[in-house]
Amino acid sequence: MNKSVIRYILGCVLKVEAAFLLLPSLVGFIYKEKQGIAFVIVAALCFILGTIMSFKKPENFLFYLKEGCVATALSWIFLSIFGALPFVINGDIPSFTNALFETISGFTTTGASILSDVEALSYSSLFWRSFTHWIGGMGVLVFLLAIIPLSGGSHINLMKAESPGPTVGKLVPKIRHTARILYIIYIVMTIIQIIFMLCGGESLFTSLTLSFGTAGTGGFSIKNDSIASYSAYTQWVITIFMILFGINFNAYYLLLFKKFKQIFRMDEVRWYLIIIAFSTIVIVLNLNAHHMASSDSIRHALFQVASIITTSGYATLDFDLWPSASKLILVGLIFIGACAGSTGGGIKVSRMLIAIKNAVREMYSYIHPRSIKQVKMDGKPLDNSVVRSVSVYLLTFFIIFSISLFAISFDNKDFTTNFTAVATTLNNVGPGLSMVGPTQNFGHFSVFAKYVFMFDMLAGRLELFPLLILFHPSLLKDWFTKRK
Amino acid sequence: MFNNKRSDNTGLNIIIVGCGKVGTTLVERLIKEGHDITVIDKDFEDVQTISSTYDVMGITGNGASYSVQMEAGIDNADLIIAVTDSDELNLLCCTVARRVGNCAAIARVRTPDYSKEVAYLREKLGLALIINPDLEAARETAHILFLPTALEVNTFAHGLAEIIKIRIPEGNVLDGKTIAHLGRHIHNNVLVCGVERDGNVYIPSGDFILKNGDLVSFTASRSDARNFLDKIGFQTKQVKNTMIIGGGKTTYYLAKQLLEVGIEVKIIESDRKRCEELSILLPDAIVINGDGTNEDLLKEEGIEYTESFVPLTGIDEENIMLTLHAQRISNAKAITKINRIDFKDVINNLNLGSVIYPRYITSEAIIAYVRAKKASMNSNIETLYHMFDSKAEAIEFLIDSKSPVTDTPLMDLNLKDNLLIACINRNGKIIMPRGTSKIMVGDTVMIVTTHFGLKEIRDILK
Repeated sequence: MNKSVIRYILGCVLKVEAAFLLLPSLVGFIYKEKQGIAFVIVAALCFILGTIMSFKKPENFLFYLKEGCVATALSWIFLSIFGALPFVINGDIPSFTNALFETISGFTTTGASILSDVEALSYSSLFWRSFTHWIGGMGVLVFLLAIIPLSGGSHINLMKAESPGPTVGKLVPKIRHTARILYIIYIVMTIIQIIFMLCGGESLFTSLTLSFGTAGTGGFSIKNDSIASYSAYTQWVITIFMILFGINFNAYYLLLFKKFKQIFRMDEVRWYLIIIAFSTIVIVLNLNAHHMASSDSIRHALFQVASIITTSGYATLDFDLWPSASKLILVGLIFIGACAGSTGGGIKVSRMLIAIKNAVREMYSYIHPRSIKQVKMDGKPLDNSVVRSVSVYLLTFFIIFSISLFAISFDNKDFTTNFTAVATTLNNVGPGLSMVGPTQNFGHFSVFAKYVFMFDMLAGRLELFPLLILFHPSLLKDWFTKRK
Repeated sequence: MFNNKRSDNTGLNIIIVGCGKVGTTLVERLIKEGHDITVIDKDFEDVQTISSTYDVMGITGNGASYSVQMEAGIDNADLIIAVTDSDELNLLCCTVARRVGNCAAIARVRTPDYSKEVAYLREKLGLALIINPDLEAARETAHILFLPTALEVNTFAHGLAEIIKIRIPEGNVLDGKTIAHLGRHIHNNVLVCGVERDGNVYIPSGDFILKNGDLVSFTASRSDARNFLDKIGFQTKQVKNTMIIGGGKTTYYLAKQLLEVGIEVKIIESDRKRCEELSILLPDAIVINGDGTNEDLLKEEGIEYTESFVPLTGIDEENIMLTLHAQRISNAKAITKINRIDFKDVINNLNLGSVIYPRYITSEAIIAYVRAKKASMNSNIETLYHMFDSKAEAIEFLIDSKSPVTDTPLMDLNLKDNLLIACINRNGKIIMPRGTSKIMVGDTVMIVTTHFGLKEIRDILK
């Protein structure tokens, strides 16, 4: 394994984080908070360490999928650890475990919190919390690919490890340009949202933090009741932008080039929108049947549906009080997740589509045992290896899910709490039901359970395998033995 | 903002159809030159492999289909190169691309049926280039057989001048002599443009001392080259007969060229039907129907006495084995064709005589075209060769307008290190450049250098 290139990339990631950390420092400076100093200290620390690690350029930049996965997984772990330090240093979240939980929850765009009183945090910490969502949404390695010129062609492996979805395609031939285009779309859309928020009369700080949370489909709010106390206009803006950020970014690229035909061919986007519409209608009807409907129940239903399917995790009301059919729909949406190639988490609509199509094919093969049928996506046949990897992904997903569920059950919480807590972290959503509902938090879990959740969040964001292979025996052996 | 065409002024948008041997070689080389490449192939696995190894975009589909080409961005492409296995598909790809997009098109066409009509096809279909790797490989093989003591012979200036690679044997007159001595006392109209020693390539200056075992490349006009080789004790007569194993397309092209100049050709081919075809196509050749890898058959057909031996089977390993066998039991000049396999270091250490790589020949021609397309208008790349396993390049520029390089004595030009002006062709007259020579508009100039990516004549200056 090419360890020196991994070291180099980690160094670069730390330097990037140092740059990012300067933003909350600036916020601290503006609001004249002493908590802002912690960010400067950690930024300096990251910069020095990053410079040392990336000082010596590796002899060859050649790396394969293995190196790509390891570099990505380690980068995210490093990012989270250093990102958690300021909270501990400035005393906003004194416990390291809690701080790490909060940061991982931020970077993985989960939005699950251990804080019971968010409003007590300093501005700089609030800003950093939301900003981690923004960084984690598109991915820090994609950012790295966009800014530093890495020679060699195998860097698609970095993007493969970090970008969500069953297949990772490029928009343009060069990966650097692809990464750049993705980030430009991301930044432009975020800015548009900020402008819309400002037009609704929100303060700049609110607009920035909530937009970061929406763009990364994260879900950290700066208020204890999430989005509930904001105006209907702001809620609509957030709803629409959550849905937009949950769409495959390739669609926006095609839109820019006016390739409308290809957009209409995207099965995933179509189904994503159908699922949102369908879920909203059913929830509204269900609320009506239980006489819980009010004049703005459409807004609330759509907000909750969008928030859960895009795995953001904002809430405008306590949906834990909803009738059980509506709650069940939301739990289902937790697993479905957003589109591949978006900033959202979850299993992804495309994987679900492929799995269902594969199941239909299997049924067909019972009727016509000798039949040959290809699974198609976007009007094109899918290679069997993709179909297979989707099946394996789902299986692995539920194995991890079960093990995590078992592991946290020792905290002796009720089943709904445990089930939705694991589901919500593994899918990077944020809130669950019962004791982890939208008005609750994760603070009451044991330290062990919190580490299980942290693992789940990272595994969910990196789509399992890049994180899992870190623990593969042959890789561990490779890592700890010196090669001559 | 999103339009990357020309945005950083480094690369062309190139679409390559077909991820075979040549396709992959092209991707590897063109990526190094900084182009934006999209590959199209029918096979999903091949596309996956190539797009995870190189920084290219991969698309699975039929390259000749309009919608696939649109997906690959034909409307934005500068060049499409079709190198699939099928000639017809290649031509169709280019024809469709010419209609859809505004790009140049290069097709690989191998079948002898079409090869006679290349010029016609090119003009009528509006293609920039039609490449026939088998024909090119045959041509290169024939050049070596015309001058069997050389390891490699490349012609340029429309066949007027040659770059010849030789190995200095033990006890040769050149051993221990400087380049300057060679010029003064042995022959003053040749120019040593590259020496490979222990895996390093030198562009030698006057005080460079040659040693035995060196691989020396020199340029000269055709007659001077033979004259020079005679003087230093090399045979310069062409071979009288040759034995070719395998009856593929390259064999046909090669045999045809050899028979034209009166070299006796014996072809051993295992497929009876193909033998019959060959005997009709090449009435003067001796066509043997039998297994060319059979030791007894080779002996019966006189492998020990043949002057040259060219295994051209489709299997590289077989070619290598045959050459090694021939080298052991005869004094024949052997030329080995290697199509597919890499392991260049291993191949270089085997005693294989001259080695021909058709896929490099193809990619070189295409790269020469691509570079010329990218360069500005005051010079044009005519030909490009990779020398010494791609450690150096020989590029032939056509000078068609004034530039800082022209009309100045060469000694006053501030040339890059490791760069040599090897030859000037002025209206068909080959000039070996000296300090006082000048480059004029209308000349073609051969440059040998270890700097890669020279696109125009101006690039030779520091």
